[in-house]
Formats: sequence, C-alpha cells, structure tokens
Amino acid sequence: MTGPVRDRRAATGDGGRGCPAGPLDLPHASPIGQLRQREPFPDAARVALRDSQLRANLGRATATIRAKRAAAVGEVPDWEALRLAGAAVKDDALDRLDELLATFSERVERAGGHVHVARDAAEANGIVCRLVAETGVGEVVKVKSMTTQEIGLNDALSAAGVHAVETDLAELIVQLADDLPSHILVPAIHRNRSEIRQIFLDHMPGVDPALADEPEALAAAARRYLRDRFLHASVAISSANFAVAETGTLVVVESEGNGRMCLTLPETLISVVGIEKLVASWADLGIFFQLLPRSSTAERMNPYTSTWTGVTPGDGPRNLHVVLVDNGRRATRADPIGREALRCIRCSACLNVCPVYERVGGHAYGSAYPGPIGAVLSPQLTGIEDNWSLPFASTLCGACYEVCPVRIDIPDLLVELRARHVEHARTKAKGAARRRAGDALEAAVMAASGWMMGGPRRWAAATRVVGTLSPLAARGLLDHLPPPLAGWTESRALPPLPRESFRAWWVRTQGGRDIDGAPVPAPAPTPTQLPAPMPTQLPVPSRARDLPVGTPTPAAAGSASARPSPPVSAGASAAALLARFAERLADYGSGVWFTEEEGVAAAVAGRVRGGLVLAAPGLDPAWLAGVPGAAHDDPSRPAPELDAVATAVTACRLAIAETGTIVLDHRDDQGRRALSLVPDHHVCIIRAEQIVAGVVEAVEALDPARPLTWISGPSATSDIELRRVVGVHGPRRLDAILLGAPEDLPPSAEPAPPRPSAAPPTPAGGASPSADSSRRYRPGLRASR
Amino acid sequence: MRVALFVTCLADALFPDVGRATVAVLRRAGCEVEFPLGQVCCGQMHANSGYRREALALVRRHTEVFSAFDAVVTPSGSCAAAARHQHATIATRAGDEDLADAARALAGKTYELSEFLTDVLGVVDLGASFPHRVTYHPTCHSTRLLHLGERPLTLLRHVRGLELAPLPDASTCCGFGGTFAVKNADTSTAMLADKMAAVRASGAEYVTAADASCLMHIGGGLARLRTGVRPIHLAEILAAREGGAGA
Repeated sequence: MTGPVRDRRAATGDGGRGCPAGPLDLPHASPIGQLRQREPFPDAARVALRDSQLRANLGRATATIRAKRAAAVGEVPDWEALRLAGAAVKDDALDRLDELLATFSERVERAGGHVHVARDAAEANGIVCRLVAETGVGEVVKVKSMTTQEIGLNDALSAAGVHAVETDLAELIVQLADDLPSHILVPAIHRNRSEIRQIFLDHMPGVDPALADEPEALAAAARRYLRDRFLHASVAISSANFAVAETGTLVVVESEGNGRMCLTLPETLISVVGIEKLVASWADLGIFFQLLPRSSTAERMNPYTSTWTGVTPGDGPRNLHVVLVDNGRRATRADPIGREALRCIRCSACLNVCPVYERVGGHAYGSAYPGPIGAVLSPQLTGIEDNWSLPFASTLCGACYEVCPVRIDIPDLLVELRARHVEHARTKAKGAARRRAGDALEAAVMAASGWMMGGPRRWAAATRVVGTLSPLAARGLLDHLPPPLAGWTESRALPPLPRESFRAWWVRTQGGRDIDGAPVPAPAPTPTQLPAPMPTQLPVPSRARDLPVGTPTPAAAGSASARPSPPVSAGASAAALLARFAERLADYGSGVWFTEEEGVAAAVAGRVRGGLVLAAPGLDPAWLAGVPGAAHDDPSRPAPELDAVATAVTACRLAIAETGTIVLDHRDDQGRRALSLVPDHHVCIIRAEQIVAGVVEAVEALDPARPLTWISGPSATSDIELRRVVGVHGPRRLDAILLGAPEDLPPSAEPAPPRPSAAPPTPAGGASPSADSSRRYRPGLRASR
Repeated sequence: MRVALFVTCLADALFPDVGRATVAVLRRAGCEVEFPLGQVCCGQMHANSGYRREALALVRRHTEVFSAFDAVVTPSGSCAAAARHQHATIATRAGDEDLADAARALAGKTYELSEFLTDVLGVVDLGASFPHRVTYHPTCHSTRLLHLGERPLTLLRHVRGLELAPLPDASTCCGFGGTFAVKNADTSTAMLADKMAAVRASGAEYVTAADASCLMHIGGGLARLRTGVRPIHLAEILAAREGGAGA
C-alpha cells in the first residue's frame, strides 16, 4: 500500500531541524517534528499484533493501572464536577490564549526569566540549540517531556553535538535501547523487567554485571548511573504540565525526583512549553492537582510536584528560559470542533482503557502521541492527511471519553476527523491519496449504500438480494469473500442469511399477524406520561465559576466504587486532619510519627541512622538538640556537596490531609530546594495546625512567587511493569514528625522502638527529656476525637 | 400504547427474527406496534465512517418517518444511541438547525428495548422461558452512551429456566466497531479472540446482547471456531416461550 507520508524528514526522524517550511495543502503553517505516521495504522498494527510478548506486557500493565485508577477516582465524590471544572478552565484559557500568553510572558520576565516564542518544531529546536550552545556544554539532562519528543529535540541537539540524557527511568530505558516511547506516561510499558535488565546490561555504562531483574534493583541501577550526571549538569531541559498566566508559574508533576534534580541543580533551565499548557489562574491548579495524578498514575498525589516562578536568588537555576511552542496548536485552536483536543493534560488514562491500544501498543500510532488522544491530537496538529489512518484506529467504544479527566469527547472528534479525511479524498486528493484502492472502493460502497437506503423501495429491493444469496450462504459459498470483505470472513463466519427480510414478512403477514402476542399474565399499568430517556449529556459550564462544585452528579454517584472513607471537610477538627494526613502519608511508604512539642528533638534523633545530618538554616536549634554534630545548611556551599549528607531535617509550609502531601516553600526553616532533595533521607517536622484538608485549600494558602515542592512520600517509580518501587532519585526515606497538642494526637499509638544508632544514650532508670517518646502511625489507627 | 418499531437496517435485512421477537415482546407487554415502512437506516455506519453527506440524508429520513409517534423502540443499543447522541450533531454540523431540533425531539422519545420495557412500561417479567446457560455482553454503546446498566440483566433474571453466567471482563469492547472490523481487521480479530475466550470461560451455551451487530461479530467468530456457543439477541430470549413457542 502506498504510504500517506509526505514527510520531509528521514524515516528515523531528524526532528525537523532546519527543515524549511514548505507548501502543504494544510490550512496552517507546517508543523514538523515527530508527529507523523510513516505507515497506515492497520499495517503498523499488524506487525505489533504478531509480538505476543508485547501484547502480554501491555495487557498486564494496562489491567493493573485500570484497576488502580478506578479506585483512586472512586474515592473522590465530586469527580464529575471536577471533570467539568477541568474542561471549563482549559476552554477558558484557549478562548483567552493571546491575552494569557502576554500576561504569562510579562510575569516570567518580571521574575527574572526569559521567554522565547517558536512557531513550529524547527524554530523551537533552533532556539534550544542556540541557548545550549551559548552555555558551551556538550551534555544536558532532561526531564521527561512530551513536547520535546513531539518536536524531536534530542535529535536536533545531537546534530548540534549535544548529548541529551533522559533521566526519567522509562525514558532512559527507551533511550538506552535506541527504542521509541510507546506510552505517554510509561514510555517503556512495552518492556518487561527481564528485557529492561538486558538493556541495562548492554547499554548502561558501569552497570553491575550481576544486576538482578527486580524492579527495585533496576531503579537503583538507574539512580547510581544518573546521580553524577545530576550533580554536575549545568543545563537542564524540561517542559511543563501547566503554565499559570497570572503568576508566570511553571509546574512539573513527576514521581522519581529526576524532575526536581533537573529543575533545581543546574545553573540553566530551559523549559519547552506547548502554548496549550496555559491556565489563567493559580487557583486552577487546585482542580488539576486532583484530576491529573488520579487519572495518570492512579495515586491521590504523585510523589513530587515542583512549581517555580522565574528565578529565586540563592535557590535553583540562575537562568530560566521558557520556549513557548505553537507547532500546530493555534491552527487546532481555530478549529471549533477539534480545539477540544487541546484540553489534554497528558494523563494517558485514555491509553490505559483503550482496547485497541492494549493490543497494538504505542508504536503503531507512529507519533509522539499514541492511543486515543494521539489518534485525535496528531492529525489535529499536522492536518488530517498526514495522519489520515489514525482516526479510524478505534471501535468508538467510548472508554476513552468515559475516563478523560477533561472530558474530551474523543469518539466525536475521531468521527469528525474521519469525515474530513473522506471529504478531502473526495474533493481535493490527488495522486497517492486518490489511488488508495481501499478508499475508492469504500467510497463507492458507501455512496451505493447511501443511494440504496435513500428510500424504502430501493432498500426493500436490496434486502431481497439477501434472500437470493441465502441458499449460497447455506452451502458455504460465501465463507471466504474477496477484499475488502475478506477482512470480515478471514476470522468470522457470515450469519445464516434469511430468505425473507423483516419488512417483507411484515407486509406479507399484514403487520405480523402470525406472532404470538398473548399478553403477559399481569402487565404493568401503562404510564400516561412517558419518562424521557436518561440524560446523557451533562451541561458544560462556560466558566469555572459556573461549576456545581461539590455536587455529585448522577453519573458520578452511579459509577463511584466503594469508598474507604469520605473526604475530610475544610472545617474538620485538628485531630481529624492529623489522623487523615498520617494515614495518607503512611500509604506512600513514609514513616509517620506523632509527638508533642517537648518530644521533637528526641523524635528527630530517633529517626537518624548515622551519617551527616544537616538542617535548614532557620530550623529551631532546639529541635536538633538530640543529634550531636547536626549542623545547619550553608546555602552558599555548592549543592553537589549535599550528596555527602545522610539526613536533611526541615520544617514545611503546610501539609494536605486528603492526599498526605507535604508542601515546602523553601523559606529559612525549610532550606533551599537541594537540601531536601539530594540527601537520601528527609525528616520533615509538621505542626498539626499546618495541615489543611485538601488540595484546593493548599493552593489557596500558598504563595506562587515562592518555589514550591509538593512531596507525597518518598521518591517512587512505576516505570517497570507499572509496579511501584519506592526510592529513585529523590530521598528514598521520608519521615514525617507530626507535632500536635496532646488532645489532637491519636490516643493509642505504640511508642517508637529503641533506635540502635545515633540516638543519644538514655540515662538509666528514668524519663529523660532526650528519650524518644514519639509514637509511630500504624494503619487502622484513628484519632478518637 | 402505540409504539413505532425501529427495527434497524441490519435486523431488517439480516436478522428478521430479532424484529419479530421485538414485536412479540412489545405486544405481550401491552403495546400496539407499528412498523413505518418508510424507515431504512439511522445512518450510523455512514456517519462513523466519515460519510456524513450520506448520513445526513438518512438522519433526515429517519426523523421524518418517526417524529409523529409517541415512542420509538429499537432492539439496538447502538442505533438508539445514534438517534440520541449523533443525529442532532450531524444536523448541526451540516447547518440544518431545524433538523437538529427535530432530531433532539425524537431523541427524547427513542428507546432501546430493555430501557423501554423497564423504565417506560415498568415490566421486567415477560413470561419468557429459556432453559439455558446464557452470558450477557454489555455492548459499548448500550453501556457507555445509553447507560443501560442492570436493565437487560434484570430482564434476563426473570426468564424461566435461564441461568445467567457472568462474563469475565464484560465491559471490554468486542472489537466490532462497524467498518473498523474490516478496515482494521487484524486488531478487530485480536479483540474478538479475547472476547471469545471470555465467552467460553463463562461456560455459557448462548451469548446475548442488546445489539445484533456485535453479536454478528462475536457469533461469526464463535462459528468459525466451531465452539458450539451460539449468539442470540436479548429480544429473542425475552420472546421465547415454554416449548419453544417464541416469535
């Protein structure tokens, strides 16, 4: 079959660098990059379907994540209202795109950053390559980023002599294997642990030849390999999950801590951001910080979220460049139907539920964006003809729309794109597109059936043909039909063909008189007023403020699974907030300890297992009294020196009960961002009154001008077979010491076990102020008040 | 009550027994059934394949033929969903707001069979008898667009002698998808293989659904493999009487 690709890049993708924008019969400037399929989906799928290992890997992984997502979403009573809110916020931002872009750019510049604008992939790559060249480095570290994949940045950098090190575990696996990503969130979802072990053994410099294939061992190997690179990198490249216009803030949502490393340690940070990532206001993040983690990794909150606004003196990169990328987005925005696709927050929930994706994987889509959203987004960004077969790669089963956190009606968009392709083929196509035999035949069949169905006489005649074929079918003569119907008969028998159509029978029997229509013994009384069918479309509010927030919709109420516990309300008691926070943080694998004010020093000492202990510069020295040799951090010391520190001790800005999240805004009692990142153990002291109920309350209370780190447990990854492994690049241990009034602490927690090391010796026979009297949280523990 | 039967083009041409069963069930539930001969097809196949010019003509015909009735009942979740969700959009995108209004009005009185029986007529026991082990496949459009939920299962639970066998991974698509089954035949077949494995694992003698189209696909695969498991439309089970005196 003749390929549809009129692509000017090489088959492996040269990333579109330096390609002149040429004439294309598209309604917009040519976006280039890794967005175009190289062969039609059915052909690519055929290859993938032959790989039984791939299908097994995908089937297991997607089944795992589907179940987890359903549980994470089922816990939120107003999920449907949240989806409506997410959709409305994104629609609003798209409506006001130019205004918001201007505001965003002005705020970033005011905060010390630099903003660049790129119309397409080539321009974006050119800007990034120039910025990197100005620093003189030959290697950059990268945060996992769909946008830089879309524009083919790594290839462009490589051509400019710069090696881009992918630091997300799955991206690293893909990069080491010289493979292509196959999933938005888990790019190596198509690989199992033994394949990954082999890739590491073959391609990871300095890897232990005795490497085991346990996900824990593989994650540890990646940690060892990348740590040096993080500590010595001077340029990092990221994209952003969200860009907040009113504050000029960028947001990266991640799990492993590789993002924090890249966003914190290098001197220069270049963030490549698609213009659809804009949201109008800081408060909007309160919606997406609920929608995104539950939809993507199926967690209440992902381990780490970083937000930053420009540069912060003494903390993090000194140079910030934001490259705003169009690459087909403005053209998509101008499309009144297709613009809905720009709501996408790249959660990949639609991939995980898609029965087509589950069987063929991501490579068959031939674009940086696979799965149902890719089947919409890729053709929207490139123009339909460059990805014409993708919208047909769906049964329109609707599972994608059902889970989409921003209510993108993917089936509707797929149908619309199909229609545009058909119309293009009918009216404008020349050459290859016209010659596609399947298209021509299909068009003829569709036109003929349309004519045949144009009136009951023609249709009745057509149904009579079925009757004449009936004896042939009965003799098995229709078991193997020629193309395109061979696509049917290769795997399915035709049904027995009837000799008489329904309508012929109806006419012959004068209205079905031969039917046994005896009524059932006790027919129910017929209502005089017909109830209308179930409402199936919820009204979509035009603005976020019109939202019915907090009102469970019928759909949400009907689909919610059993909830372990209803959310704590904003007005909950300190004891209730403390208990919920402890339960949720412990769920992530963190140590959670309760103490009263006078027990903090001992509680801190009880968590230390030897090695250097460094505290935030402004942390109360009394809290360190139990740890001899503990020092306060000197922010002027180079961050790589923190690698020698075993334990970092900090306070926090606030904590979130519902998600078990600690938020640092890196003031004096919390220290610079690197302090709670580079050491392998983080002890965080949280006062009960710092705990707020939910994400929305947290967003309201936080200052977006500060760099913020949202921490939900130790660093973690699910990149290998979607199994959660605790401990990657960020701290592998997180201990939270919850400091409360006696009446707020849970009543019956067990005391901490004696610590073998580092804890100061307790004088015999008596309650010493330095004895650790903190009590560890255990599941099942609840506050009594 | 006078109801119009929208039999669907597929049942009309290939599965007339489904239409006859629907007539029988509706009559037993006390309805006077009319079959407007002007009806042809809802246009879903054309619309979903991208042929909206053809689809628009079919939507117009469908709306004209059925608008005068109090209620329109169809033995297809997918075709009911087309009338409910797609017709007005097709009309709007073609710039025909009058047709869109008419389609919306018709959508408000179009029902899939099990929905009509349970919600409108309030009947769950149709006196049917079908002494077999049956598994029910909730088709995608009846599940995700119509939200039929438990309705078909409730009807099946009231059938004498019927043993309902749970279907593993029931809500997963069978891989039919209209022209998808031909255009992406390999992927469709891979999905079908998994659905057939689930049907066989249920131990059922019959697989039933609210859509003849999905059943044609599943049943065609089961027949090709000579599994002995037979497809049967929900309406046919509900019409079955003791001693086989059904439709």
